[in-house]
Amino acid sequence: MRRVAVVGVGHTKFGKRDAGWRDLVQEAGKLAFDNVDNLEPKDIESFFVGAAQPERFAFLTHVAPLAAEMLGITPRKIIARTELACASGQAAIRYAYAAIAAGLTDIAMVVGVEKMFMPDMLEAQSNMTCVLDREWDGVNGLSAPPFFAMCAQRHMYEYGTTREQMAMVRVKNQKFASKNELAQFYGKEFTVDQVVNSKPVSMPLCLLDCSGITDGGAAMILVEASLARQFTDTPIYILGTGQASIGNLINGLPGLANWDACRIAAEEAYRSARITPDDVDIAETHDCFTISEIIEYEELGFCKKGEGGKFVEEGQSDIGGKVVVNTRGGLLGMGHPLGATALSQAIELFWQFRGEVPKYRYVDGAEIGITHNLSGSASVHSIMIYGRG
Amino acid sequence: MEYRTVKIPDKINLPTMLDFYPLQTEKWTRVSRFFENLKEGKLTTTQCKACGKLHWQPRIVCPECMSDDLEWVELPKEGKLHAFVESIVVPLGMEQEMPMLVGVVDVSGLLISTKIDDAKLEDLEIGMDMELKVVRVEDGKQERYWYRFRPKK
Ligand SMILES: [Zn+2]
Repeated sequence: MRRVAVVGVGHTKFGKRDAGWRDLVQEAGKLAFDNVDNLEPKDIESFFVGAAQPERFAFLTHVAPLAAEMLGITPRKIIARTELACASGQAAIRYAYAAIAAGLTDIAMVVGVEKMFMPDMLEAQSNMTCVLDREWDGVNGLSAPPFFAMCAQRHMYEYGTTREQMAMVRVKNQKFASKNELAQFYGKEFTVDQVVNSKPVSMPLCLLDCSGITDGGAAMILVEASLARQFTDTPIYILGTGQASIGNLINGLPGLANWDACRIAAEEAYRSARITPDDVDIAETHDCFTISEIIEYEELGFCKKGEGGKFVEEGQSDIGGKVVVNTRGGLLGMGHPLGATALSQAIELFWQFRGEVPKYRYVDGAEIGITHNLSGSASVHSIMIYGRG
Repeated sequence: MEYRTVKIPDKINLPTMLDFYPLQTEKWTRVSRFFENLKEGKLTTTQCKACGKLHWQPRIVCPECMSDDLEWVELPKEGKLHAFVESIVVPLGMEQEMPMLVGVVDVSGLLISTKIDDAKLEDLEIGMDMELKVVRVEDGKQERYWYRFRPKK
C-alpha cells in the first residue's frame, strides 16, 4: 500500500446559508485550490463527492459530474458520488484514500456537501425519516432524534448515565464552537441548565442535545505521499482506517446502548495505524446527539464501557484531558451538513497539526488524531486516523 | 414587464412512496402474507426451516444460512417495552399524530419498533407489558394494514 497525504483543504461557513447546492460546491472547491500551490482543476485525476440526499434536499442526482463541471475538473481515472447517510463524506475520503493507496490514481479531490434548509422544513424532516429503514422502522415514526433518544434512555437505564452528563457534551463542544467563525452556532455559549431546559425534541433529548439542520461544503485534496511536497510544505498523512457495519433495522443491532460496530471499527483502525487508543491526542467524533459522544468515548476505547458520562464530567475530553474531543465544536456546535461533516472533521485535524487553529482550541503537540462517523441507526461506524508525520 | 404565467398546481397528492407505509400486495412484495395475516389480527414473521432462525423483518431468504425454505409463524400478541420516546419530529403525512409515542417492544426476543397507542408518556416504563393493535391505513387508493402496540389492559 502506498502512503496518502492531505495537501490542501477548503471549508465553507456552516449554517443556514443564502446559497444553493452548487454554490456550496464552488465555495469549498475554490478554497481548496487556493490552499495549495502548483495545482489546477485540470490536474485532478479522480473526484469523489460525498452527498447524502441531494435527491431529496435539492432534487438532483448524478451529482458528481455536476460538481466536477462547476469546478472545472475533468477526471480521467475515477469519478463517483458516495452515499452513506451521515458518513457520506467519510465514504468519499475513504474511497479517494483507497484508490491512491492501491495505485489506481495519484491525485484526487474530495468534496462533501449538503444543502439541508428547504422552503418547507417539514419536507427536510421527512427526508431524514427514510435514513432508517423506511418500510419497517421509519414508518413507525423513527428518525434520528427518537432513535438516539432511546439510545440515551437505554444508556441511562443500563449504566446510570445522567441527563446532566449528556448536557455537558454540548456545553464543552459549544464552548469551542462559540469562537469558531465557521460554526453554525458561532457566538453562543450554553450552560448545563440551558441545555436541560431547552425545548423537548425527543425526551430525554432536548433541542440543544441535537445537531442542527445545516448547509455547508468542504473539500480536500489527497495525493500519493511522495508527491505531497510539490503542493505544500506541511502535508498531513492518513495512518489507518477501520469501518464496521452490524445490522440496520433495530432488531438487527447489537443494542441501543452498545455500539459494537464502533468498537470493531476502532480496533481495526488502531491495528492498521499500529497505535492504541492511548496514542490518540485529539478526536473528532460524531456527536450528532449528546448521548452519541458519550457512547463513542466508550467504544473508541477512551474509557471503560458505561463510564462515558463520567469521562465528560471529569473533563477528560476537554483541553488538558486524556483526549481532546471535538475542538472545532462538534456536529452539535458546527452543525451537521451530512456530506460535509467528515471533511470538516478531517480539516480540523489538518489545521491542528499545522498549527493553523486559534490558540483557544489548539492542542499543543498533538501527533495523532482520529475522526469518527456513525450513520443510520448507528449500524455503521467509520473511522480514519490522521497523523502529523 | 408583461409575463406569460406558467401555472404549477398548488396541491398534489402525497406521492405514494412518500407516505412511509410499505406497498403490501402480491404485486409489489413477496412478503404480502405478513400484511394478509395482519389484517386477520395476527403478527407473523418468517422462520428458517433449515437453521431455525426467527427473522424480523420477514424475509424470502434466511440471512444466517441462505436457505429460501422459510415458513410463516405467528408471534405472540404481547411483548415487553424495551425503550420508548415521545417525539415531536414528525414526517410528512403524520402531522396529525404529533406528538407521537414511539417505542421498541421485545416480542419473543425480537426487538420490534412501533408507534404506541392509547397511552401517555407518563404511563410508560421500561419492561411493562404491551399488546398488539392492528390499524387500517386509509389513503383512498388502496387498503393497507399496519401494527402498533399499546399498554396491556
Ligand atoms: Zn437459515
